[in-house]
Amino acid sequence: MIGLYILGAVLLFGAFKFLRGVYFIRKAKRLEAEIGTLNAGTEAIEARQRAEKAAAVVALGFVAEADLDTENPAPVPPERTAALEAVRTGDWEAGAAYIEAAGQDWHERMERVRPLALAAAEDDAWLLAWRAARPTDPTAALVDADTAIMVAWNVRGGQSGSRTTQEQFRLFRDLLIKAQEVAHEAQRLADPADPTPYIVEQPIGQGLGYSHERYRELWEQVVKRDPKVLWSHISGLQYWCRKWRGSHELALAFARESAAVGEPGDLLSLLPLIAYFEQETYEEDLAAETFFKEPEIVAAVDAALLDLAAAGDEHPGTARLRHMLAYLLFWQDRDEQAVEQFRHIDGHIGALPWSYAGSPKRRYLYARDWAVVVATPGL
Amino acid sequence: MGASLRALRALVLLAGFYLLGVVLLGILAGIDYAALSGGLHGPAAGKLVIVSVVLAIPIVRGLFMLRTPKGEPPAGVAVTEAQEPALWEAVRDVARQVGTRAPDEIALIDEVNAAVSEDASLLGLRPGTRRLYLGLPLMTGLDEMQLRAVLAHEMGHYANLDTRLTPLIARGRAQLIRTIGHFHDRADGKVAKERAKQEKAAEKRIAKGKKAKEIDTTGQGVTYRAMAKIYTAYGNFYMRATLSSARRQELAADLASVRVAGRDSAASALRELNALDSAHDFYMSSYATLGVGAGLLPRPGEVFGGLRRLLDARSTELEDLRRELSTEPTSPYDSHPALAERVARIEALPDDGRTGQSARPALELLSDADGALAALEQVVLSPQALALKRLDWEDLVHESMTQYVGQGAEEIREALSAEGAGPDLAALLDAIDADPALRWRIADRFPKSEQAAAATGRAAREYARPALRRAVNQLVTVELTARGAARWQLSWSDSASLRYLADGFEDQLDLALDAAVADQADTEPLRKLVLAP
Repeated sequence: MIGLYILGAVLLFGAFKFLRGVYFIRKAKRLEAEIGTLNAGTEAIEARQRAEKAAAVVALGFVAEADLDTENPAPVPPERTAALEAVRTGDWEAGAAYIEAAGQDWHERMERVRPLALAAAEDDAWLLAWRAARPTDPTAALVDADTAIMVAWNVRGGQSGSRTTQEQFRLFRDLLIKAQEVAHEAQRLADPADPTPYIVEQPIGQGLGYSHERYRELWEQVVKRDPKVLWSHISGLQYWCRKWRGSHELALAFARESAAVGEPGDLLSLLPLIAYFEQETYEEDLAAETFFKEPEIVAAVDAALLDLAAAGDEHPGTARLRHMLAYLLFWQDRDEQAVEQFRHIDGHIGALPWSYAGSPKRRYLYARDWAVVVATPGL
Repeated sequence: MGASLRALRALVLLAGFYLLGVVLLGILAGIDYAALSGGLHGPAAGKLVIVSVVLAIPIVRGLFMLRTPKGEPPAGVAVTEAQEPALWEAVRDVARQVGTRAPDEIALIDEVNAAVSEDASLLGLRPGTRRLYLGLPLMTGLDEMQLRAVLAHEMGHYANLDTRLTPLIARGRAQLIRTIGHFHDRADGKVAKERAKQEKAAEKRIAKGKKAKEIDTTGQGVTYRAMAKIYTAYGNFYMRATLSSARRQELAADLASVRVAGRDSAASALRELNALDSAHDFYMSSYATLGVGAGLLPRPGEVFGGLRRLLDARSTELEDLRRELSTEPTSPYDSHPALAERVARIEALPDDGRTGQSARPALELLSDADGALAALEQVVLSPQALALKRLDWEDLVHESMTQYVGQGAEEIREALSAEGAGPDLAALLDAIDADPALRWRIADRFPKSEQAAAATGRAAREYARPALRRAVNQLVTVELTARGAARWQLSWSDSASLRYLADGFEDQLDLALDAAVADQADTEPLRKLVLAP
């Protein structure tokens, strides 16, 4: 009998536990649903506010979100569009002429090589034809090397190391080594005064992990030909960044050295701005609204503004500097100055600092609309 | 607790196994009696009696089952004293030193193991035939003193060391594990039977045009499973209660092997066992059975005998395995303490002056080791395996690798013919010269990774290039091996590799392959190198 009592008690206790469990699960579900509704409500309100603000800013003549171009830092020059169109139909000579037209403006030469290399990474029939027709053309070799780098990155993909396969890593390396061979070939073929075959090797050294010593040797080859090519400095800074082969300190030291080399109008004052921005991006516990207000960064921004004024709009790198300035001026609460930069760059945001964001448009619009609203009385 | 007390406790625990059955039966009988005399009549009483009888059946069976289960003896070659006098002499010698009866039979088996079994009856109180199972792969890797150490350990379990009851406990443990397994087997068997029955019934119902009932075996075998649970619980209790003494016995058996073979041989034997196990597995999968897919086996005696060559060639790798011992016991119920602990205990013993004693390889104890290795194949291998063609190692590797590469090339040929290119290298090169883009269409037919499949433009081509290069290289290999210009080379210390007969050929071939798959295809170097007469 006692056994039965015990069995009964155990069963009752079990039933109680079970029913209590069911009750709590239902309650949790109900609460979750309520939270969901509340969140949706808040989001809707925020979205409406954002939309109203955005509409007001667009009414002032700024570009609407849907029309923002995230590919290019500035409007694409018609000559470039024509050159890309021509090579697509197999007319490599048009591509060659377009690049040659940059002459000894080495930064501009690289600005012209890159879009052609990007096109060749997708379809390189014209490039192969160019290489076959003029095997000793240094420009063709230069485009070929830059194309190989683009292809290597396409193969590698943008995922982190753990989400990149062995096959991707192996091919990435093999392709960079191939790119290196082509870059060396370009160095042999090119005019000894031309730094671009060495500039094209910079990202290769970065991807292959050149030692500091070897990278400095390569850098020496670049600066002895021309110490002030903006492209080469931006590329070199990447190598010295913490996320690649250097550190915050090495990157900043490199950037300051670059800035010191440049005279007003060379736009090399852009380098420290990128170094600070890279550091802020890397360090999760750095808050943009306080970090970018550090006196030395405010000073760097002031120097860059003077540099920009000296350059006018002649330098092909102005757009890149304006993008960076707009962002930093916004964080430094210098909204009116920021708006001035936004007016210049508005519409084309394929540049730092927007391109690092998960959603470049969102980052850009947040900064632009904020600055515009603050700087416009009565808005 | 003294040794005899420990043994007594173990005996009581084993007896408890029987007692448990008796008590369970008593409880069932008591319930029936109480219910019937308490005034329960009619169908309810009948039902109660039937249920208790159903429950009693597995208990009664369990009581008798304790004797029945027997492990399947491993397949082996029995050797008589007349055949192998030296081996028998060594075994008897060890048994004498350990203080136990020598085995009545010795069988050579194909494992890295030595084991002693006994067909004992009456709970193991009455001794039966004692058999020593001795693995030839084990003997292959040990010297004579190390083998003696292993034998001393195994026989130590049967030795009259601390008490007369020790062997009983050792046997009891083994029997118990088997009994529980048996219960589970029966329960599973019952479920399977019931399922078959229900499926048959369902078929009948369907045949008669009715809707079949869902097959449900949840309740089946439940009594067996319940009994197994009770016995498992008791078994776990028994195991845990005797585990420490069981582990102590293992250590005592290790001490016996130290006495017989010396400290260093005993310790090195344990280390060697660790290394041999992996070496033997690797040997069997990568060497002995390499040719099976091509219908080939090594010469008689070499299926197991080839291990000697591997051990000689890979001594540095083996040294690592000897050094890195597991510090975890294989399971909480395993009576063996962790290997690292056993070795450490032995090596901590004082020097017994037998360091560096020289000993011949254990296989030399056999008057005809090669004969024994060959005889073992006849017993262990399946008739299908025995029917395979036998070749020397060198030829075996070349023939089977050639065949495997040929089979692998089939896929390539399929891709080629689907694109309208010829089956062999010459035809492929002609087709490439006619249309270089053909290469990428062929490569597109090979299996590829998710990333490769998603790639576009030149990236897609870069993914395809290595696959294409491999495929062309495979056709080159087929071409060269067929003409005798290349030969697969056996290596006991590395994987098989293709050896080209011409000097510097490999570098030239690399360049020629690169040229053939380059953006601007050039098949000329490959033609000159491979196809030129």
